[in-house]
Amino acid sequence: MSHEGEQDRYVGRSVRNLGQDAFVSGVAKYTSDFQFPDQLHMHVVRSPHAHARIRRVDLSGARKVAGVVLAMEGQEAAQLLDPVPHYIDPVGFGGKTVPIRCLAVDKVWHYGQPVAVVVAEDKRTARYAASRVQVDYEPLPAVLDAAEAVQPGAPVVVPGWADNSIMALPFANGDVAQAFERADRVVRTTVRIHRFSTQPIETRVYNAVPDPETHGLTFYGTSQNPHPLRHVLARALRIPENLIRIIAPAVGGAFGMKMHGHPEEALVCLLALRTQKPVKWVEDREECLLIGAREQVHEMELALTKDGEILGLRDRALANTGAPSACPGWGMAFLTGLTMPGPYKVQDIDVLMNIVVTNKPSWNASRGYGKEATALALELAIDQAAREMGLDPVEMRIRNFVPKDAFPYDSPTGLIYDSGDYAGAVRKAMEALGYAEWRQRREESRQALGFGASAKVAGGGVVGAAAPGAAGGAKLIGIGLAYELTPEGGAIPGTMVAGYDSSTVRVGPDGSVTLLTGVTTPGTGNPTGMAQIVADELGVEVETIRVVQGDTTTCPYGFGNYSGRSTIVGGGAAALAAREVREKILTVAAALLGVDKATVTMDRGVIRSSAAPEKTLSLPEAAYACYTRAYDIGLAITPPLEAQATFRPGLIRHSPDAKGRINPYPSYSNAAYATVCEVDLETGQVKLLKFAAAHDCGKVINPILVEGQACGAISFGIGGMLNEEIRFDANGKQLTGSFVDYVMPRALDVPAIAVAHHDSPNPVTYLGLKGAGEAGVGGSAAAVVNAVNDALLPLGVSINDLPVTAPRVWAAIQAAKDAARPAERPAAATREVA
Amino acid sequence: MSANLEELVEDSVLLQCRVNGKACEREIQPGTSLLDFLRDELRLTGTHMGCMTGHCGACTVMLDGQVAKSCITLAATVQRRQITTIEGLKGADGKLSPVQQAFWDEAGFQCAFCAPGMLLAATELLRDNPDPSEDDIRRAIAGNLCRCTGYQSIVRAVKAAARVQRSAG
Repeated sequence: MSHEGEQDRYVGRSVRNLGQDAFVSGVAKYTSDFQFPDQLHMHVVRSPHAHARIRRVDLSGARKVAGVVLAMEGQEAAQLLDPVPHYIDPVGFGGKTVPIRCLAVDKVWHYGQPVAVVVAEDKRTARYAASRVQVDYEPLPAVLDAAEAVQPGAPVVVPGWADNSIMALPFANGDVAQAFERADRVVRTTVRIHRFSTQPIETRVYNAVPDPETHGLTFYGTSQNPHPLRHVLARALRIPENLIRIIAPAVGGAFGMKMHGHPEEALVCLLALRTQKPVKWVEDREECLLIGAREQVHEMELALTKDGEILGLRDRALANTGAPSACPGWGMAFLTGLTMPGPYKVQDIDVLMNIVVTNKPSWNASRGYGKEATALALELAIDQAAREMGLDPVEMRIRNFVPKDAFPYDSPTGLIYDSGDYAGAVRKAMEALGYAEWRQRREESRQALGFGASAKVAGGGVVGAAAPGAAGGAKLIGIGLAYELTPEGGAIPGTMVAGYDSSTVRVGPDGSVTLLTGVTTPGTGNPTGMAQIVADELGVEVETIRVVQGDTTTCPYGFGNYSGRSTIVGGGAAALAAREVREKILTVAAALLGVDKATVTMDRGVIRSSAAPEKTLSLPEAAYACYTRAYDIGLAITPPLEAQATFRPGLIRHSPDAKGRINPYPSYSNAAYATVCEVDLETGQVKLLKFAAAHDCGKVINPILVEGQACGAISFGIGGMLNEEIRFDANGKQLTGSFVDYVMPRALDVPAIAVAHHDSPNPVTYLGLKGAGEAGVGGSAAAVVNAVNDALLPLGVSINDLPVTAPRVWAAIQAAKDAARPAERPAAATREVA
Repeated sequence: MSANLEELVEDSVLLQCRVNGKACEREIQPGTSLLDFLRDELRLTGTHMGCMTGHCGACTVMLDGQVAKSCITLAATVQRRQITTIEGLKGADGKLSPVQQAFWDEAGFQCAFCAPGMLLAATELLRDNPDPSEDDIRRAIAGNLCRCTGYQSIVRAVKAAARVQRSAG
């Protein structure tokens, strides 16, 4: 350990002086910025049908275009490429699998599926020539809805499968029937989560450069996981891994989308090898929008006491994962079930997650990785119960949380939660929000519209009726709270989703420090955090450290970024490696100073001995001696000044317990999210006035970066609920094709966010880290929906069919008005608006 | 029907303009976007492609001092105009501008793919309004999408840059 006092350490401070201005001066190099001599460009021909048989692909028109080098369809590609190995094969979970081809063979099973490729000397020619590829399709009946897909007689998406279910997984524990018998009240809520997407501002870009010397290639690409991608490409291309080098340059946001399995990855490599020229592909936004996620329906049932204690939970869930893919997206639905019942202590649960394929485009991993859906389903159901029973949603949550003295805690699905203080985080978030003041303002907004203090929903009935003043831009205020438990740092046995990672610390003869690590950065700042760790452990100035990531040739074997893991495992490994290197330096320094090693320390690159305080050594002096005095004073160490270490966090358990369950996570970050909204009763517009979060990511390495992660995730949740939605027509053609239709939050849409830290250190990770990158999408999304429903409370309506866009909110308000006029409408007007 | 793309488009156009203060003269295809011209012809890759529909703002440049979306601007329409890209934002001394420095200090970016556009939008704002309110700042960057930060640190950075500029000015 470093000897310095806490105040001298880099860890815990908002370090910004990593000495690189590339990102603000336009010289940072992203994949698309690489241009090679004789560069060719690929364009992909995609299916206009959701489901169709391919009768014939005619490439002759494209081949006639001047500047076209090559055109290829699925039959030929299938001869040249093996199927793309699944990132996570459903077979490992007892599910159904299918080989994934890069170009469709015989039939297409989703809109936008690659059918052919054209390679040309420039991108305009490639695009033009692609338009001249003629494909003769025989359209087939498509199934788009998961509930329809599981009906007998539904069109089967995958030839040879008996039905459309990848698998139906139970997550059950205890005696649920008995819990429901004991209950004073059962509240049923159907939560419909729509399809939305991460949409980093940089789309996917791949650049394959053949190497005529080795017959291999170098792949420059937007990749979160270069080493595992190399394995996948080697298998698809039928060449050994050691002929492929993957370089992931600066990445313009990833959020899971740049995890691999995409057909274009292997295609550019194949085409580069065939043409022996560099081949580049830049995804356009319409293509990027094909990659969706998150669409699930949860039929939630809570068994409750009259005080709001949850005795039992039933959930029948359907996930619409789109057509099969080699990407890891489908696994999100598994995590949704596994993370039930989140932060709540109820042990009697019966969850059945049916993971379904349809003729929509495939999912890929999306920040939250299914845990956002757990939070949405649970938090909307709890608020529905609080509304129906007239309970306080804050108190109801606190009553049901796993208490802070119960950790490590065995969840009913077999997870082992490391640590937390959920009630404490809720209190902190509500304080940061200014709860008391907003309650007052909510009451005023209600009274102004004639909804007095008595305006409450009691026993499921509507008390408040639309007042005369409730028109003409009248506004109601709502307050929403939600909690999210986010298992992070996952490890799935038998897959390249590994729990551990490796880092190398290298000190050159000049004393300069290089950290090479197997974790990568999508732009989150993890290199700064890891440099802070190395600076403290080694005893050097953080500015002297250079971090190298995203290169399969120079970096230790690693698994990249996902699951909020990078600083936990990359940073933990870097700390272990730095300690080893430090020992070598101090050993040689002690010999140079002629003192006992136990008396020697290094601080900010200056080496001192308490035995001879008048003498100092610089790190460059000691480092040079380590390299050049291997046969005298350096005999006690093994040169060079370099160490590689692996951090393998504890708590992960892959040997099944008595009930056959594993714990794939070492770390359970968690947070409370609270927001205030204003709903315009005339237009249905929702405006957020304030947002607060209290976040437990364990030890905070760099507050400014951690808060940046939290605010980014909150913006995802806000956008996902208020505007973002991927829509299809009745035949399965995707209607959402640009940022005109896919509306992500802009600066004016996101309110001021107050982030409070409420850390409880993880006992099994370096410094107690928990991970900060994955968390926050579902909790913030649920807080937004709960706030909208709280605003609508006096009207007696609620929306659990997402997103809560203005048209849906407007429709709910109209339904409430109609219900308030019993003469014009049947009495059975639904309270919950679909 | 011709299968040759070159025959389908008109003759090339001679484009003369100034980019980051330097005179520039190139033959271009009339359909070339300003974004492609900057990136592919001049190799100024700090200007980024995010959507090609003018919505994300990653391609923002300045045209005669006003921010513009280069992906929906035809290069042939910028004859004799002054173009400033992110590469032209540093001072003559090679130091970061106060806006760039503030974005670095306040972590006004994460992946930084949107940063060039944000920096130009903020630079234009602070040139015209040295003491902007939070709402002014949010309006000024409303044409630029950021997917990483939730905008909090960007707003903070623009405020910090405004403070530095005022105290220097």
